[in-house]
Amino acid sequence: MKEQFTPKIVGFLCNWCSYAGADLAGAAKLKIMPSLTVIRVMCSSRIDPNLVLTTLLLGADGILIAGCHPGDCHYEKGNYYARRRFALLKKVIKTLKIDPERLQLSWVSASEGKRYAEVVNQFTEKIKKLGPNPIQTKPYL
Amino acid sequence: MNTAENESYSPKKGAMISIKDSIKETVISFFKEALEKKIFDAILIPVKVPAGDSYTWILIEDVSLFKDAAPISPIMPVQGANALSSLTRKGKGNLKIAAIMRPCEIRAAIELSKLKQVDLENVHLFSFDCPGALPLSDYVKNPSKGEEIFESFFTENKWNEKSIKPICKMCDNFSLPNCDLHFGILGTEKDKLLLIPNSIKGEGVLNEMGIAFKNDLSEWKKKVEEIKEEKEKIKKENYNNIQPMVEGLDNLAQTFAKCIGCHNCMSVCPICYCRQCYFDSEVSKFTSDNYLLRAEKRGAIRFPTDIILFQSGRMSHMSLSCVSCGMCEDVCPASIPVAQIFSYVADKTQKVFEYQPGRNVGEPLPLKEYKEEELQEIKKLVNDSVSQE
Ligand code: SF4
Ligand code: SF4
Ligand code: SF4
Ligand code: FES
Repeated sequence: MKEQFTPKIVGFLCNWCSYAGADLAGAAKLKIMPSLTVIRVMCSSRIDPNLVLTTLLLGADGILIAGCHPGDCHYEKGNYYARRRFALLKKVIKTLKIDPERLQLSWVSASEGKRYAEVVNQFTEKIKKLGPNPIQTKPYL
Repeated sequence: MNTAENESYSPKKGAMISIKDSIKETVISFFKEALEKKIFDAILIPVKVPAGDSYTWILIEDVSLFKDAAPISPIMPVQGANALSSLTRKGKGNLKIAAIMRPCEIRAAIELSKLKQVDLENVHLFSFDCPGALPLSDYVKNPSKGEEIFESFFTENKWNEKSIKPICKMCDNFSLPNCDLHFGILGTEKDKLLLIPNSIKGEGVLNEMGIAFKNDLSEWKKKVEEIKEEKEKIKKENYNNIQPMVEGLDNLAQTFAKCIGCHNCMSVCPICYCRQCYFDSEVSKFTSDNYLLRAEKRGAIRFPTDIILFQSGRMSHMSLSCVSCGMCEDVCPASIPVAQIFSYVADKTQKVFEYQPGRNVGEPLPLKEYKEEELQEIKKLVNDSVSQE
């Protein structure tokens, strides 16, 4: 049987909603797959596409960006800007056919521990199906 | 520039002027007259360097210095928007300036004005029907031959020359950018030029100079449309050729395998205006342990590293404003078709926001605004990220 593949996913979580949501999920001892390495950022709009591309091209199997629900950003409109940036980045990656599926944007509020667990688990399942990031086998990249 | 006016402005009439000696001399004498009449204080214009083997931007205040000026130069060694940015990025001066630039240079200048790197308030932008520019590397090998070839575009009315830059061959945006005044070369009689006002500001200049603009534009428009259609076809074909070069990690690796990591493409790009590029900064460099770890995992690691990261990062930073000017490709020592690649990707990203760089000064940059309800495709992806129970 093939060795069990545990994806390595990097999660950029905004401090005010999604990170707190993750905290809540942990405190409630919800079942969350151990695939996510969390990086806390102040707002989803803080995430420069270079951070995401670096993570992806260095070999992460998946990248999750999570912020407050639209309208609820601590800085009022950060997540609307983040959504535009995400749309741009996704288009670049899609055009270059570098597995756009490995990129995920979600909204998780501070009270949505359960939603957080579901987002992580479902994304992990999806990445499991995709398999490891092929970049890890390319010496010239 | 008054945005509201410009947005609604579409030229109806132009001034037919007779060509004396050559198009070049006619345009120059227009600027000389404008300087003498104090309509402008200075003109920003390409001028042939003393050695005769290249061109550079010169800001001319003295009428006697127009000797080597070339309003329509055969090459584009420095993007005009960069020259204009050097001149105005600390804010407008007291001088009234006229700048004559190619349509892609005007578009870049407009993007830079949105990025606060150019101040257009005291600038009048002039443009012309652009026949394209010769590749820099071809020209420097034999400047006099280059001059000859370029001259023939006008005398023999050749508008789809083989010898121009690849990006120019597919440029369907070669006429009437969002400028104040435009020299129409196409569709006119052999010894005539059309000077077309394209803003209230532009009309003002003609009025001040006592030049009436009552001539019909339809022949010019017809010819521009005709060439535009040809170029659109070429562009489509070209995008089809570029597509397989950039799809998938393996093809990308192959396309950029020649890259020497010089970052020329970034440093000459008018849109990459950052004082320090992220990719030149220490933040983008890693420790040897990191590189060793990568080598261990992948079997090897190539130096210079992260070439695809550099290009894809640039695409996500600036492709929305890429004006397909071809500067990046002109300076790539490895002959990678960088501009054609960027143009192809930019075409896709710009469509996401229905944005056309340089179309209008008043149109905000897509990353600087948003609507609460938009990007339905992305919204759907976000919703799908957790199954609704
Ligand atoms: S990426 Fe190349 S073609 Fe696009 S604006 Fe920059 S220099 Fe011009
Ligand atoms: S690649 Fe990005 S950081 Fe570098 S100069 Fe261009 S826009 Fe600036
Ligand atoms: S100019 Fe060419 S060789 Fe230099 S970094 Fe850009 S793509 Fe690479
Ligand atoms: S603070 Fe959470 S998205 Fe801006």
